[in-house]
Amino acid sequence: MKLATMFQAGLPYLVLTGGLLVVMIGVAIKRTHAVAAVLTIVTLIATTLSHIVAYSALGDGAVQIDSMFKIDGVAYLFNILFLLAALVVAFLGSEFLNRRIRFKEEFYLLLLCATLGSLVLPAAVHFASLILGLEIVGISLYAMIAYPEKARPPLEAGLKYLVLSGVGSTALLFGMAMIYAGSGSMEFANSLPSDGSIEGQYFYLIGNAFFWSGIAFKLSLVPFHIWTPDVYHGAPSTVTAFLATVSKGAVFAVVLRYAIEGNVLDSGNVQFALSVIACVSMVIGNLLALLQTNLKRLLAYSSIAHMGYLLIALLIVESNSALGYETLILYLVGYFLMTLAAFGVVSVLSMNQEQELDSIDSVCGLLWRQPIAGAVLIVSAISLAGIPLTIGFFAKYYLFYAGIDGGMWTLIGALVVGSAIGIYYYLRIVFTAIKRPAEDAEAMTGLPWTGLGILAFLGLCMLVFGIYPTNLINLIQNVVQASGF
Amino acid sequence: MTTALSIPLEHVFFLAIILFLIGAFGVLIRRNIIFMLLSLEIMMNACGLAFVAAGARWAEPDGQIMFMFILALAAAEVAVALGLVVQLARRFETLDIDRAEELNG
Repeated sequence: MKLATMFQAGLPYLVLTGGLLVVMIGVAIKRTHAVAAVLTIVTLIATTLSHIVAYSALGDGAVQIDSMFKIDGVAYLFNILFLLAALVVAFLGSEFLNRRIRFKEEFYLLLLCATLGSLVLPAAVHFASLILGLEIVGISLYAMIAYPEKARPPLEAGLKYLVLSGVGSTALLFGMAMIYAGSGSMEFANSLPSDGSIEGQYFYLIGNAFFWSGIAFKLSLVPFHIWTPDVYHGAPSTVTAFLATVSKGAVFAVVLRYAIEGNVLDSGNVQFALSVIACVSMVIGNLLALLQTNLKRLLAYSSIAHMGYLLIALLIVESNSALGYETLILYLVGYFLMTLAAFGVVSVLSMNQEQELDSIDSVCGLLWRQPIAGAVLIVSAISLAGIPLTIGFFAKYYLFYAGIDGGMWTLIGALVVGSAIGIYYYLRIVFTAIKRPAEDAEAMTGLPWTGLGILAFLGLCMLVFGIYPTNLINLIQNVVQASGF
Repeated sequence: MTTALSIPLEHVFFLAIILFLIGAFGVLIRRNIIFMLLSLEIMMNACGLAFVAAGARWAEPDGQIMFMFILALAAAEVAVALGLVVQLARRFETLDIDRAEELNG
């Protein structure tokens, strides 16, 4: 592989790192919120656009950078998704910082750092790049969660996330060490035990048990989900939006790669364990969400269930890797839009408050008090429930299709049960938002127009892709095919 | 199979697993945040030991390189963690994680 090709394929990473350094030096020279925000947004847009230049370097298939990275079209698609989500978070964050935080500029450094880590993951094909990408995201997120300097809940959430995510990372590392002991290679492609000895098999199986426990921690799958509601609740909504979307999506991108390159799912044990985790996550996540009165906690449990749904896309890759990628990317696009919109609404409504307005009661009659935010909240709840004319419907349809294609009937059963339970509490949000507000309820004014504009855009995307998804699906299919799956 | 190790691989891994479990129990049982972080550090080092042993089985430097990565990760994590601990001591006036617990429901 020629060096020039590698640099061209790695251009998005270089642009983002360069922008990160510029923002860092800029903040060090003079602290100006507007400059830091504009530089961050320009960096994110430039990185997104640099994919156009970089894409021509791929030629047919993929560019391998040493044994660490394999950059292909699918990785770029994930990158663009994460960058756009980071852009939304940057816009929402700028208003949030402006109104509620004293020291603003470092937030952008952390955001760019976390985005860089999440771009590393979809291209990683080596345990070292996996853990480094994961920790770049993780360590930036600890600080982002605990960012508000006075309040107590963010600090508690930050420490909780730090300790429990740390435990997850160590389980992951231990699993990697055992897989390496069994196979003699840390590249995904050669991670099956090579010599066929009993010893190697043992190492491989126990290693995978540790590895997937660590992954389940990171993805907040049942039974490793305990931290999720507390962290989602305590963190500022803007950060929760990032945590719930980009950090989860990036982990999914890398485990899908591991499952395909390493043929992990050939092992019946791993497949069985993942199926059980998926079923339990779908059912328990939805059941616990029924009990919640806090919007952020409710969304946290719903995200546990959605991560369970997404495991179907992971399990299908053994028999049909192209369908696995298509399902994962389409579902992630939908999940990103709905989750960013839902947490974005909470974030925008809380802009002028000391504390976050996150109980379900606080959105009572929102459609009348603040039509834009109310409408977006309703659309995103309907979409999360998977009702037609929204992107959530097509995403779920694809999951069904993938499940049937792979003959995973138990999982489809759990998906149906989970979705049915889900409709109950998603519709509760819708009805609360539609209800006529009490006479004394004040209209919400003075909310930032950038925030409302972003929300309206997200809501519109959910509807447009829900009514006319053909272009999106074609794009995803073309890229997946061009990447050789 | 080339082995550069005079201690059997299984023994090293048993030690690593024991260390890992000590750390895990520490995180679960201890309520003082400093001790929880120490336990986390023990778990990290158990992983490091496992990597070095695995690298020795294949007579490759990769295991030790991963150990370096783990050291760097642990350092970065602790740097952020200690910053948060200072804030915890200021805002809650305790290092006991149970007494600082407000989020539940």
